Amino acid sequence: MTRISRDDITKLGHLARIGISEEVAGTLAPQLEGILDYVAQLQEVDTEAIEATNQVTGLRDVWREDEVIPSHYSRAELLANAPATQDGYIQVRRVL
Amino acid sequence: MRRDRRSNSQAPESDYTADIGIECHIQLKTASKLFCSCSNDSRQEDPNTTVCPVCLGLPGTLPVLNKRAVELAMQAGIALNARVAEHTKFDRKNYFYPDLPKGYQITQYDQPIIGAGEVAVPLENDSFSVRIVRAHMEEDAGKLVHPESADYSLVDLNRAGTPLLEIVSQPDMHSPAQAKAYARELYYRMLYVGASDVDLYHGNMRFDLNVSVRPSGSDRFGTRTEIKNMNSFRNVERAADYEIGRQIQLLENGQLVTQETRGWDEQKTYLMREKEEAEDYRYFPEPDIPPLELDRSKREQVEQELPPLLTHVRHTLRATGLEQTKIEALINQPRLAMLGLSVLEEITDPASRDRIVNWLTSEVVRLLRAEDFDWDDFALSVGQLGELSDMTADDELNSSAAKQVLGEMVTSPRSPRQIAEEKQLIQTSDAGEIESIVDQVIQNNPQAAQDVRDGKSKAIGFLTGEVMKASQGQTNPQIVKDLLEHKLNQ
Repeated sequence: MTRISRDDITKLGHLARIGISEEVAGTLAPQLEGILDYVAQLQEVDTEAIEATNQVTGLRDVWREDEVIPSHYSRAELLANAPATQDGYIQVRRVL
Repeated sequence: MRRDRRSNSQAPESDYTADIGIECHIQLKTASKLFCSCSNDSRQEDPNTTVCPVCLGLPGTLPVLNKRAVELAMQAGIALNARVAEHTKFDRKNYFYPDLPKGYQITQYDQPIIGAGEVAVPLENDSFSVRIVRAHMEEDAGKLVHPESADYSLVDLNRAGTPLLEIVSQPDMHSPAQAKAYARELYYRMLYVGASDVDLYHGNMRFDLNVSVRPSGSDRFGTRTEIKNMNSFRNVERAADYEIGRQIQLLENGQLVTQETRGWDEQKTYLMREKEEAEDYRYFPEPDIPPLELDRSKREQVEQELPPLLTHVRHTLRATGLEQTKIEALINQPRLAMLGLSVLEEITDPASRDRIVNWLTSEVVRLLRAEDFDWDDFALSVGQLGELSDMTADDELNSSAAKQVLGEMVTSPRSPRQIAEEKQLIQTSDAGEIESIVDQVIQNNPQAAQDVRDGKSKAIGFLTGEVMKASQGQTNPQIVKDLLEHKLNQ
């Protein structure tokens, strides 16, 4: 049984940049514990003789030539979903 | 250990040893970005105009690796005398910041493209060694602008996705001067191999320092701080100098150094943030970029395309017995160093070769520092230099006349003879002509001539000057002096 402490929740919230209220934290902890316990079943599989798998496509060396092809979308189109823009910049809450 | 600008400190510096490691980011010289085909050069561009759905991290897009960036990283690794990996892959580094559109950076975690290496760094007339831990490829983030007194920041993602190589050293530097020398060495190695434009002004190359101090004799490293984002060799030196002093002061006062990230404001280092732990980035293998197998044929192909490396240039110049400071003066100007190599290859006469190399490392280096000098105008060739050297050897030009011609040749492809003739610098070697001028001067200056006969040697200088004047400088002063002495002391 994995234990998720209040500090763990606070830290996860910080890393994900989301605010978590006391009330939500109370329900999140057992839910996260449940998820971790479920995934932990994988730990029971014997992987001693198995090479680490980083990907499953079997592809390798997928690359392209170094050629400039400008986007066929305009700046206005590309920034259309930005919450706010100013003079072609994306406007965000002040960070410094 | 030397320290300036901290007069408030009486710390016994020799009691401490400093350990400095450097992480250096260089921008790889590709035309397009690392994972999309947007232009990699946005210096003159309006914000968010060299972007596309991929580098904006829009949903449903697929990044595709730039092959050239991989080749340049391999070349850089060779230039660092480091091992190029056979298997390498990309990973995601997760964090949130507005300049990082995807919410993660594609970088390399446990299988970097470049492994361990070792770099010999010249410093004054000696050299020291810095071990390279690794070098990995990653994409750059965008740029943030913070308008004054606004409650918002502005994001320009033109730079997002630019290919970088991060070169990590062991903490093998022990003084600010060594840190500066290593930064300079990286700069020139990357410049010669052509992996980057290494334009410091535009941030093509940025340095982060890890600095710690420990009591001399102790083999346990002290707690280190990281100083971010120096963009010049001088700032690397000054920031290291300041930070070493700050840490020694803390220890002397009985305080502890805290592990933290600091900035440099040109005067001092300042606290930016407490160190984030590595696991906070939740690295995992990048599923969108399949791994690379850099097999033998790929490595050989990259090796074949290598330009002359800095180490090769330095080695070749050193084999001529040229002193280190002169070699480094040449190396500071890659086109001059290449010219120097051609001279060594094509000019076989040792006296002539030495004369030309001496011109290159003194007179020409000086001329290149002229404010109005522009490399686009550089025209100096081995052919010109060889001819100029021959003219000097044959006494057609005296040394100051040769320098005048050299000054002209730096930006002119014309032959030295043409230039010398035009400037009337060629010395008359016609014995009859010189003799008649000498006779004339003796006749016009009977008193001086008598003085020489009476053994007043000063007068010979005056007469020599008169002959030089009459011949408009086109006679060899030594020949004139010999001739005067001969005639007047018969």
